[in-house]
Amino acid sequence: MGWNPDSTLIRGPGASAAALASAWMAAMGSRAQDITADDATAAAAPDTPAPDSPDGPDAGARPPLARPRDCVATGVAAGLALHLGWPAWIVRVAFVALTPVAGAGLLLYAWLWAFVPWSATPGESPEARPRRRSPVAWLLVGASVAVMVAAWILSRPLVSGEGEAWSWWFWATLAGVGLAVASGAWSTFIDRPDPERGPRSELAVRGTATALLVVTALALVFGPVAPLGPVPAFAAALAAVLGIGLVYAPTLIAHWRDLTGERTKRIREEQRSEIAAHLHDSVLQTLALIQNRAGATSEVARIARAQERELRDWLYAGDAPGESDLVADLRDFASALEIDYPVTVDLVVVGESREPASGELAAAAREAMLNAARHAGGEVSVYVESRPDAVEVFVRDRGPGFRLAAVPGDRLGVRESIIGRMRRAGGSATVRPGAGGVGTEVRLRFPAEEATRG
Amino acid sequence: MAERVSVVLVDDHSIFRSGLKADLDDTIVVVGEAHDVESAVAAVTDAAPDVVLLDVHLPGASVPAGTSGGAEVIRRAAPAVPGTRFLALSVSDRAEDVVGVIRAGARGYITKGSSGADVSRAVHAVAGGDAVFSPKLAGFVLDAFGAAVGETAAAVDELDRLSAREQEVMRLIARGYAYKEVAAELFISTKTVETHVSAVLRKLQLSSRHELTAWASARRLL
Repeated sequence: MGWNPDSTLIRGPGASAAALASAWMAAMGSRAQDITADDATAAAAPDTPAPDSPDGPDAGARPPLARPRDCVATGVAAGLALHLGWPAWIVRVAFVALTPVAGAGLLLYAWLWAFVPWSATPGESPEARPRRRSPVAWLLVGASVAVMVAAWILSRPLVSGEGEAWSWWFWATLAGVGLAVASGAWSTFIDRPDPERGPRSELAVRGTATALLVVTALALVFGPVAPLGPVPAFAAALAAVLGIGLVYAPTLIAHWRDLTGERTKRIREEQRSEIAAHLHDSVLQTLALIQNRAGATSEVARIARAQERELRDWLYAGDAPGESDLVADLRDFASALEIDYPVTVDLVVVGESREPASGELAAAAREAMLNAARHAGGEVSVYVESRPDAVEVFVRDRGPGFRLAAVPGDRLGVRESIIGRMRRAGGSATVRPGAGGVGTEVRLRFPAEEATRG
Repeated sequence: MAERVSVVLVDDHSIFRSGLKADLDDTIVVVGEAHDVESAVAAVTDAAPDVVLLDVHLPGASVPAGTSGGAEVIRRAAPAVPGTRFLALSVSDRAEDVVGVIRAGARGYITKGSSGADVSRAVHAVAGGDAVFSPKLAGFVLDAFGAAVGETAAAVDELDRLSAREQEVMRLIARGYAYKEVAAELFISTKTVETHVSAVLRKLQLSSRHELTAWASARRLL
C-alpha cells in the first residue's frame, strides 16, 4: 500500500516530460511557421508586390506546412510554396537570394529541412520512401568540382607573383572538400536505401568524390602553390585527406559494428551451448534418476518429469517452431497432463505436421488424452503421423479399458467430444480395446484436404 | 529369462550406476563399471561381457568432434570383443546422438527414465540377439526412411527404404506396442517381429540415405 504514492511519483515526471516534449514540438512547429511566414513575406516583398498577398480564401485554407514525398531534393521549397500558395521557383529564388545575407537562406533551409515533417497523404503509408527527382549527390560532386576549379583560378595571382599568399583560394578549396564529403554522406545516408539509386550509385559517387579529393591533395602538395604558401597548402591537402576518411567513415563504422555484433552473437551462442551441455550432463541426468528411483507414477517422478520437459524446452528453444501447430499443442497438453494426473505421456511424431492447433482433430486428440490420463493413468502412448493423404493420431493407454456400448448415454465424453466431433469435421474416430485386450486405443483420422483447409 | 547375463555399466555418474545396479533384476550380473571412454574401453575388453549398458554422453579426452563418447567406445572396443552387444542408454534428446550411437553399432536404445524392469528386459533382448526399439526410435526410423510420404522398398535387400511389413511393425512400436502385441496385431510370431526389427536396425546402421543425417540434425528426437 505504502508503495502507491511512490509509484505515482515515479510515473509523474515521465508523464510531464512527455507532455513537455509534445508542447515543445508544437512550439517548434508554430515557430517554424512564423519564421517562414515572416521571412517569406520579407523576401517576397521586392520580387512580388501586392497582388499575391490579399488572395482572400487562400489565407484561410492553407495546406499544412509539410514536405511532399515526391520532391526534387528535400521537398522544403515545394512544401513551403504549397503552404504559402506561391510558385515554387519564387521560394527557391528567395532561398538563394537570402543566402549572402549572413547565410540566412541556407540556415532557414536547413532549419526547415530538419523540422518540417513529410506530408501524410491518405493513400500512402507513413513509412513510404520519398522519391527524389534530382541526383543530389552528383550535383554536390559537380559543385565540388566547380569550387575546386574556382580555387585553382583564384590561386593563379599567387603563382604569378601578385596577390597575397593566404587568400580566397584556401577557403574555396576547403569548401570544395566539404562539398565532396557532403556528396559522400548524402549517397551513404539518403541515396543508399533509395531503391532507385542504391548501393551501386553510392559506390560511384563515393569513388568520384575520393578521386576528386586525391587529385586535390596531390595538386596542393606537388603543384605550384606549395612552395609559395606551404602552410595553407599543407592544411588544405590535409583537409582533403581527412575528407577521404570522412567519405568512408560511415561504411567503416557500419562494418565495425557488424563485426562486433557477430562476435557478441558467437560468444553468446558458445556460452549457451556450454550451459546446455553442462545442464544436460548434470541436471537432466539427476532428473532422470529421480524418475527412475521414485517409480513412474509417483508425485516426485511427475514433478521431475515436468521439470525435465521444461528444461529441455528451454535448452533447445532455438529449434522449436514458433507457431502453434497440432504437435506443439499436444506436447504442451501432455506436459500439463503429467502434472495433473499420475501419468507419463510418450509422444511420437512422424512426418511434417501442417495441422493447426485450433482444429477439430487437435481438440479430439486432447479429449482422448485427457480420458486416458483420467481413467487409465500409467503410461499413455500418443502417436501422430502426418501423411500426404491424411493425419492420424493414436492414443493408447493401459488402463482397465471400457466398452463403448457399456457407457451410459448421458456420458458425453467419448461419444460426443471424440467420435461425434471427428465425424462432423469430416474425419473418423474409432475406440477399441488396446492390443492384447489391455487398455484402450483411440484412433483419429483426418483427411488431408480438410487438414489443409482447416 | 533364467539365463544369466553379464553386463558392464558405463556412465559418468556413479550415483546413476549404483541406482541402476540396484534396480536390475537377479538374472543380470554386473561384471564391470566405467565412467569415461578410456576406462570403458578397458573394462569392456577385460570383462568381455554379454551386454554393455552404455551412456551416450561420456567424457573422454579422445572423443573426436561430431560424435559422442558412447559411439567412440563402441568403435574402439567392439573389434576386441565380437560377442559383446551394446545397448545405448541416454537422457539425450538429440537425434544425431541416438542415430550416431546406433550407427556405430549399438543394438538398441532406451531412455534413462525407463524402470529397472524395462532395462532388464531390454538387456535380455539385446543379449539374445534382438534389437531394442523405443517408440521414439521407431518414429524416427519411419520419418527418416520416408515412410510418412509413402516410400516403400520394392526389393528385400534395399537399404534405403523400409518394406511395407517393416513399416507396419515400426508404426505399431511407435504407437507403444510391445513386440508380443505387435505380433498379435499382425498375426505373426514374436520371432518374426524380432526379425523385422533387426532388419530395420541393420538398415539404420548401413543405409547411406542422406536424410538420416540431414533429418537428424534438423530435428530433435524424443
